[in-house]
Formats: sequence, C-alpha cells, structure tokens
Amino acid sequence: MPSIEESLKRLHDAVVAFDEDGTVLAAQDYLDEGHEALEGIMRGLAAGMNTVGQLFKSQEYYVPEVLLCAEAMQAGLRVLTPHLRAGQSESRGKIVLGTIQGDVHDIGKNLVKLMLEIAGFTVYDLGVNVAHQTFVDEAARTGADVVGISAMMTTTMMGMKKVIQILREARPEVRILIGGAPVTAEIVKMFKADGYAQSAADVVDAVERVLARETA
Amino acid sequence: MTPKERFLKRLSGQEADMTPVGCTTAYGVVELMRKCGYERPLADTDPVAMAQLALAGHAVAGFDWIKAMGWDITSVSQALGCSLGEPAIDLQYCIASHPFEQGVDDLECPGDLLSRGRFPAYKEQFRILREVAGNSAVIFGMSEGPFTCAANLVGTTKLLRATMKEPKLVKKTLEVTAEALIKVVNFAFSNGADYFCMADPTSGCDLLNPKAWATFVAPAVKRIVENVSGPVVLHICGNTDKIIPMMCETGIAGISIEEKVDLKQALEAAHSRGVRVFGNVSAKSTLFIGTPEDCYKEAWAALEAGVDFLAPGCGLAPNSPLENILQLRRARDEFFRTA
Ligand code: B12
Repeated sequence: MPSIEESLKRLHDAVVAFDEDGTVLAAQDYLDEGHEALEGIMRGLAAGMNTVGQLFKSQEYYVPEVLLCAEAMQAGLRVLTPHLRAGQSESRGKIVLGTIQGDVHDIGKNLVKLMLEIAGFTVYDLGVNVAHQTFVDEAARTGADVVGISAMMTTTMMGMKKVIQILREARPEVRILIGGAPVTAEIVKMFKADGYAQSAADVVDAVERVLARETA
Repeated sequence: MTPKERFLKRLSGQEADMTPVGCTTAYGVVELMRKCGYERPLADTDPVAMAQLALAGHAVAGFDWIKAMGWDITSVSQALGCSLGEPAIDLQYCIASHPFEQGVDDLECPGDLLSRGRFPAYKEQFRILREVAGNSAVIFGMSEGPFTCAANLVGTTKLLRATMKEPKLVKKTLEVTAEALIKVVNFAFSNGADYFCMADPTSGCDLLNPKAWATFVAPAVKRIVENVSGPVVLHICGNTDKIIPMMCETGIAGISIEEKVDLKQALEAAHSRGVRVFGNVSAKSTLFIGTPEDCYKEAWAALEAGVDFLAPGCGLAPNSPLENILQLRRARDEFFRTA
C-alpha cells in the first residue's frame, strides 16, 4: 500500500494536471486505503489548488487551466466530502464578494471565490455591477465576517471608498478586503480597507490575516 | 510633411521627419469633453457630438490622428446581440448580457449587421470627419477584436474554458466574429478610415495561454487581415511579450502595446517582421495619476527607445488630466527639435 504522503501527492498532482478522472480515482483509492477525508481535502486537493495558484501567478498557467484544475478539485471533493466526520465540514467564515457598481469584470473575482471556497470559507457571490448599498445589505443578511470588493477600473474603484464608508457605519465588525488590477497598498490605506491581495494565490492569506487581526 | 503624410509614411515603413504622436485607443477624456462642449454619453451615439469630441483630440490634445467609431469596444458585440449597460460621462458602454451562453448553434453573422446598433451613426461621423479633417489628418476606425467579441457573446469564463474543453465551440464562434469584423473593418475603410485598430483585451496573456492564442486567435486575425482593404493595428492590453512575435505574423501593419511590455524586444520582434509599434506611455498609472513631469519623461523614454508612434499604452482613463496628456505632444515636439 502506498504511504499517506504518496496518496496525498497523487491527489495534489491530479488536481494540478487538471485530470478530473484521475482526481476521482485518487480520491477513491485514498479512502479505500483508510485515510481521513479531511486530510485528503486539505493536504491533497486544496494543496493542489494552492500550487495551481502559484503556477497562475508565475504565468505558467492561465485562466482556462485554473478553471479546469478547479473542476478536477471539485470532482475530488464530491468523493471525499461525504466521508467527513461531524463538525469537520464547518465553514471557516462567511464572505460576501462582488464586483463594484459600473464594473463588469469578473474573471479575477471568480478566481478569488474559487480559492476561498477551496480553503473552506462560505462565499456569497453577488456577481458584477453590484450597487454600493447591496454590499451592506448582503453583509447584514448573511452575517458575513468579511466583505470582498473587486474593481478593475480606476473610475469604478472610487466607488469602493463609498462602500467602505457606509459599511463601516452599518457594520463596524465586518472586515473589508479589496482587490483588482488598479488596487495598490496606497489605495488600501487611502480607502481605509483592511487588506488586499494582488493575485488569487494570496487571497486566502489575506483573509486569514484580517480575521486574525479581528480576534487579536 | 502634413500629419497625414507623416503617419502614412511611417505606417508603411518609409522615412518620416518625426514620430507621429496620438492615441490608437479610446480617448473619451472628461476634460476634453468639457473643453469642446460635447460629452459622453451623447458622444457615444450622436454623430455630431462623436465627431466633435474626436476632433478635440486633434485640436486640443495635440494628437496627429483622429479616432472614429465611438469610445468603447462593444459595437460589434452589440450588433451581434449583446445588450449594453448604462454609460455615464466617465463610464464607457459595457456588455450587459451574453446572448449565446447556452449555445452557438443559432449564432450567425446577420446580413444587416451594418445597419444595426451604432453603425449608421458611425457612418455619418465618418462623413463629418472626412469633411473637416480628411485631407490633413489620418482617421481610424476601432472596435473589439474577434476573441473579445466571442467572449462577449458566449461569456468570458465559458469561452476561456472552451479553449481547452470545447475547441469546436471556440472555432465556430470565432468564425462568426471574424466574418462580422471583416464587414465592420471594410465598412470603416469604405467610409474613409486610413487604418483600423482592433482591441482584443480578452485574448491577452492575463487570461489566455499563448498556445491557445496561436491555435484560435491568430487564424481569426489572419483571416480578417487578408479580407479587408486597408492596414490593421492590433491592440492587446497587459504584458504581451509572449505573443508579440505571433501577433506580428498575422499580416497586421502595427501592434499597440502597454508599459508592461519589454519595448526594446517588442520593437525588434515587430521591425524584423515589417510591423510598426504604437505605445507605450502608461494610461493606467502615469497619464492618469502621475505628474506632468512623469508623463513627459515616460514619453521621452519611449521616443528614445524608438517607438514608431508615440501613444498611450491603452485607452485613456476618463478622468485623466488633460495637462498630462498634452505632455505626449510636448515631448515629441521637443525631442525632434533637439534631435
Ligand atoms: C478581460 C478584460 C475585459 C473583459 C472582461 C471580461 C470579464 N467577464 O471579466 C471585457 C472585454 C468585457 C472588458 C470590458 C471593459 N474593459 Co476591460 N479589461 C480586461 C483585461 C484585459 C483583463 C482583466 C482580467 O480579467 N484579468 C485577469 C484576472 C485573473 O486578473 P484580475 O482581474 O486582476 O484579478 C486578480 C487580482 O486583481 C485579484 N483580485 C481581483 N478582485 C479581487 C477582489 C478581492 C476582494 C481581492 C482580495 C483580490 C482580487 O485576484 C485576482 C486573481 O488573481 C484588463 C487589462 C489587464 N490586463 O488587467 C482590462 C481593463 C481592466 N479594462 C479596461 C476597460 C477600460 C474596459 C472597458 C471600459 C472597455 C470598453 N468597453 O471600452 C470595458 C468596461 C466594462 C465595464 N463597465 O466594466 C481597463 C480599465 C482602465 C482603468 N484602469 O480604468 C483595463 C485595465 C485595460 C486598460 N485600459 O488598461 N474588459
């Protein structure tokens, strides 16, 4: 029988190779070998997606490859998730995510969503061209821990400042992450957001950081 | 040499007395609208307002050449069935629906394409521009390119995924968008355009694998170029280092590039294939939030590197200060005075 490390690597590699059938087989074998589903998800599938994020950042992978890797990973999840023990599938937090009003760019936002879901967060995706007030309303409705706003244009980016203002007033406990091509560390400061991420590969880190600051 | 002679000589690779300066992407700049009194969104649909704003680029911003066909890259997608979102003075038209998300079986290029959407207004705008400036300045038409148009029709995520899983769907969609573009580009030429710029942002290396660019986009661009009656310039946003050699082998006359591109390398790749380079002063940062000195310096650097046409690297952000934009012209004039 292969060692657990070998089986985890097989899961990881199948995701990275966007091999959907291979991922399903690896997941079934992994369970048959008697390993813990949770570990397979975290150190196999999710670890694979992390590698994919890095490959995307270094331009070895492009958006289509990332999308297919995610599909392979999701196929693997469908095998492993039913075998989680009670309490193990609990969400690590709720995140409301959307592209700001006036902006229809969503490729980046969708990758962000993907990485967050893989890492165990529950994402409420509001889509594109989201009215400022809707971020606040949806944060209230879902009891979100974090609100993530994406803007790809300098014009629409200015709207994020507005959302942050009204969100701070209505829900001061909510952490706010912003992102998108024009967003820089200076913008984060200027708009008084809690954090940002430049690439899908860094998003989970950014969320963990703002959440840690909250409880610290 | 008139600006027009200078431009056309340079584009065909002949000697010109100096480097033309202008913008081969959109210049729907709010300050320019206020100066000339014709604002978007009126200037998106009304031929007179559209023409006056286009001419203001020449008269006020110092550009050597003039843009026809509006301030966004949605016109072909609109004519093929996409609905558009609400524009504002500082927000271009955008795509609001993807009518072929469920399948492309019914997708075809309609016979009446050029009487749809804003093409009738563009036709009238061309007439005005020709009358006012046609002898002295180059006029160009512009629209989205074949891949961006295809992504608008079926949805970007769906099309990107299909490049790996459903190549037939991608090919079929591109066949139709290329056919539509052939009509649109020839429409521009028959109405007086001197060249045509296709902007294909969705095919850039931020999204698409260069290998997929070779498989899908290159043949579509080639087909368009082979079937139209004038020179085509291809603009793609972002860092396009990896696809520039391929872009230059499609038969296009020029490429338009951003600041993220390695300019020296791009010039070599282009010139060795008989292609001219437009660029590459940063529209996203320098021209938008930089100081006039920054803009001047960046323009000077591009001239020094030997760019063929001094231009912003991408569409000008609507709220860019005019003072910044004017530095392009200033840098060009002073560069050639001292040279
Ligand atoms: C593809 C594209 C399009 C496609 C979008 C398809 C889609 N469904 O998304 C189409 C063709 C429809 C389009 C339309 C337009 N576009 Co456009 N587009 C681009 C392009 C080339 C790539 C964007 C992209 O998807 N990148 C890839 C993804 C993976 O990266 P990303 O978005 O940056 O996201 C990553 C990070 O930023 C971060 N992130 C993103 N969001 C968030 C959110 C949070 C919370 C966090 C933590 C992190 C995070 O993580 C992501 C994953 O790594 C960019 C130029 C460029 N190279 O950036 C221009 C660009 C964004 N577009 C631009 C413009 C001007 C337009 C149009 C106005 C053109 C027009 N119509 O005339 C319209 C605008 C429509 C509108 N109102 O929104 C400009 C904006 C200029 C500016 N700074 O103001 C750009 C910058 C091009 C340029 N001129 O330089 N566009």
